[in-house]
Amino acid sequence: MKAPRTAGPRLGRRDPAVPPWMFVVPALVVYAAVVLYPSVAGVVYAFTDWSGIGSFSFVGLANFHTLLHDDRALASITNTLLLTVAVVVAQNGLGLLLALGVNAEIRSRNLLRVVFFAPAVVSPVMVAFLWKYVYNPDNGSGLNGVLGAVGLGGLRQDWLGNPSLTLWSVAAMVVWQYAGYSMVVFLAGLQGVPPELHEAARIDGAGTWQRFRYVTWPLLAPALTVNLMLSTIGGLKLFDQVYAATNGGPGTSSETLSTVLYKEAFVYGKFGYSTAVALVLALFVAAVSLLQLRYLRAREVAA
Amino acid sequence: MTTGSRSQPGRGTVSRRGVLRAGGGLVAATALPTGLAACSGGGSGGTVRVVGVADEQQPITEMIAAYRRSHPGTAFSTSFAPTDQVQTVVRTQLAGGNAPDVHVLYPGSGSAMSMVELAKAGLLAHLDDQAWTRTIPKGFDAAYRWKGRTYLYSAGSSVIGAIYNKKVFADAGVKPPTTWSGLLDVCGTLKARGVVPIALGAQTPWVTQLISYALVPNAVYAKDPSFDDDMAAGRATFAGSGWADALGKYQDLQKRGYFNDHPDGTTYEQQTSMVATGKAAMAVQVSAVLAAFRQAAKSPDDLGMFPFPGGDDPANLWIPAGVVVGLGVSARARNAAKGRQFIEFLGRQENINAWATAVSAVPFTRDSTTRLDPALSDFLPIIDADRAVPFMDQRWPNAEVQPAHFAAVQDLLAGKTDVNGALEQMDTAYGKSS
Amino acid sequence: MSTATAGGVSAGAERPATARRKRPTGYGRYVLELVMVAAAVAFLFPVYALVALALKSPSQIAGSPLSPPTSPTLGNFGRAWSSASLGSALVNSTVITAASLALLVVVGSTGAYYLARCVRGMGYTLYVLFLLGIILPFQLGMIPLYKLVDDLGWLGTYQGMILFYTGIQTPFTVFLYTGFIRALPQDYAQAALIDGCDHRQAFTRIVFPLLRPITGTVIILNAVFIWNDFFTPLLYLGGSGKETVPVAVFSFVGQYVSDYGMVFAGLVLAALPILVVFLLLQRYVIKGFAGGLKG
Repeated sequence: MKAPRTAGPRLGRRDPAVPPWMFVVPALVVYAAVVLYPSVAGVVYAFTDWSGIGSFSFVGLANFHTLLHDDRALASITNTLLLTVAVVVAQNGLGLLLALGVNAEIRSRNLLRVVFFAPAVVSPVMVAFLWKYVYNPDNGSGLNGVLGAVGLGGLRQDWLGNPSLTLWSVAAMVVWQYAGYSMVVFLAGLQGVPPELHEAARIDGAGTWQRFRYVTWPLLAPALTVNLMLSTIGGLKLFDQVYAATNGGPGTSSETLSTVLYKEAFVYGKFGYSTAVALVLALFVAAVSLLQLRYLRAREVAA
Repeated sequence: MTTGSRSQPGRGTVSRRGVLRAGGGLVAATALPTGLAACSGGGSGGTVRVVGVADEQQPITEMIAAYRRSHPGTAFSTSFAPTDQVQTVVRTQLAGGNAPDVHVLYPGSGSAMSMVELAKAGLLAHLDDQAWTRTIPKGFDAAYRWKGRTYLYSAGSSVIGAIYNKKVFADAGVKPPTTWSGLLDVCGTLKARGVVPIALGAQTPWVTQLISYALVPNAVYAKDPSFDDDMAAGRATFAGSGWADALGKYQDLQKRGYFNDHPDGTTYEQQTSMVATGKAAMAVQVSAVLAAFRQAAKSPDDLGMFPFPGGDDPANLWIPAGVVVGLGVSARARNAAKGRQFIEFLGRQENINAWATAVSAVPFTRDSTTRLDPALSDFLPIIDADRAVPFMDQRWPNAEVQPAHFAAVQDLLAGKTDVNGALEQMDTAYGKSS
Repeated sequence: MSTATAGGVSAGAERPATARRKRPTGYGRYVLELVMVAAAVAFLFPVYALVALALKSPSQIAGSPLSPPTSPTLGNFGRAWSSASLGSALVNSTVITAASLALLVVVGSTGAYYLARCVRGMGYTLYVLFLLGIILPFQLGMIPLYKLVDDLGWLGTYQGMILFYTGIQTPFTVFLYTGFIRALPQDYAQAALIDGCDHRQAFTRIVFPLLRPITGTVIILNAVFIWNDFFTPLLYLGGSGKETVPVAVFSFVGQYVSDYGMVFAGLVLAALPILVVFLLLQRYVIKGFAGGLKG
């Protein structure tokens, strides 16, 4: 890192390929006004006992101390992590398979791409509303009805009502919505794989799996990075789908950090504490993303 | 998964958790979950801003239209949303110093948007100088008043009871029961005929509490009318009180197979449709949702309502009746004075009647012009005999007990806890500071 | 789909010969096609349920919820359209979404042009700062931001919403554009600079046109978020008469909860415009990602 580059616009002239810093000013201004300034101003509440209305006093680190002993919040961290891992693995695994499928020379591929991506453009709340119908426990309608109709009646479940199943049902709904999103990213990566490489490998006698493992997979590294990053951040912050589908229930079996922090702020009237939880969530997501980015970028270079 | 899942409070939730929240519960009429629409009130200057919960949309819209006939100079802007969203919106506006002139307010204490909570913070204007406030029965003080001053406008109470499908009852040759054992018999007969006796949509959180609320008046308040005071003073707990009997009966109904399978996976919407279409015989619900049930049925006359018998003495049956969600006037809003005039208008008997009719409630004050929903006729004698108990959450000290109750019931139905464990969860929440 | 086996070969007339040559031979392809189509059918089941219910009357729903609608009715759509006043909501949503997208494209592409070319020191610090915006929970800044918009006098206005969406989506937009620009060859822009263009001219004449694919991606992904957002318009626009489609749709979802047919018809109407935009832009979405990944 050369120090002079940071010294400002005047010295920046030395490299004529670098555009003047004025280019970044509009983005920075609007981002600072809408995200940075309010967030920094909002962090203050994490150190208060504010209810969200009326007056408040500063309580130092008391909210963070409370968090350490808050069983509900701590239990929700486990759920958040389970949900994130399930979504990241399934969404990207399925996304990759779909991408390989629709990248092949099959007739319906253009139509299929649209079909698989379409759920990603629908609002998450509508998706949750729709899936509450799909998941209803009645044997004659929804998913259970279909299972019965195709002779798989034994697989019928109380999808959202069975506490040990709820979290996974929500995960499946999220995977359904965003597998197409992952597919599109992988597809973009696949299109960057030169066909000559495959041809060469084939001539060398490599089978389908070997060609995937040694030709395609390494070249998918950047796509994998983007997919893992976005799905991890999305999973850790997941709110709409969980809240609209289960509200954290039955009991507290599908409560996540985001639903807890929402309830603390607007249901229980503990805005200060909620802000502390939000801050911890932000630091947590930032740490995970940073580690992930470093590892994945290093892997890309190695590959 | 990137931009679509930004975690943003309340964005678009369809849930209507806690519709019955706090203070006396309220509940929701037809528009349970969401519902927000808006009518533009014209220019900004003297426009009275009203923010209501979806359940109030119909009465408020009608009342504003009526008011504007006599006050054509007053412009209104209205906005309605489901419970969760409206709570988030109004609290953000209050926090941002931009309070609406008139906004949704829940009776009593026990929720983030309850009368006591906001009055304590100095955000409400009292309504003591309005004539209607002097007709509020003393027994409703906890719902309408804090420290002797009235802050809430609400048209009256809704009751919790069993909404039933008359045709299904007739086909099975049974009549609405008046005792607990009679209820069990009726359920047995219905079940034998292949009908679900009681539809329960406990996937929807606020629905979980209705059966507890229907049973607790007989199990607790009939024996110990000062139970709320004892709880507040720390002389009583949920565990070991009549609440244990109530939850025991709740569980008993499930063990006997009198609910639909998988109540924790069944939603309020499915519950409604089951009763309306005759797949189920009844559902324990708030009178405010009668309109929604009637809408789902072939003919509105298919449905009736009877007091859910929690005890075995038909002459001494207690029922829950909670003050419905209402409105408050902001202490500091720009057009608060005009807002107060509007509330005064709502306090006229004919308007109390009209609002109460829209949400199938019993007006807090009645005269010869009051026409009650005929489905409520079995409840009136009990209310007039002072055997109606406010919804339990109205006296709960913080906003966490009610959600704890929802979670405890869901856990109970899922077999994840027992009656004692459920009540301990509620006691823990009760013990938290407000 | 059903014509895939029979009519396929003759349909090859409009396919270039090269494409045909690339196809693998044998039965494998047909098996794969079958598997993928089966997957798509499974994928579409929830959508089928949505549309089938939207086309049925309440009694048909009660009778056989899953069967195909025998006498489909558009009545639900008509009722949904009028009860939600969707007409004016569509105008509001379109204005807000289109204006925000235009600003995002301008602000995001110019910002990324700088960040992609200045990758050390200040440039890198700023890039990380923008990435932070993808991570921060929205709740942190909610109340200060509300006060800010109120102080500007922009509550209940289009410009308040447009400012909000531009700001909140700038980080993601910058992230997409920066990855894409880094992968672009620098030669053209540099040639232009040597020919005496300044950076503004080089950007508008050379670089920006090269960004077309990623701009497609930026537009569709941001459009999805802005169009579907529910809470912010409720908070900032409630009561103003400028409510957006989700706000209007959820108003009647509330009033007609038990009427699945009508609710689902409303959901279809709300999702339709954005699906159409996606269909129009989907080529670009995939290309845009492809470009961005090279970086």
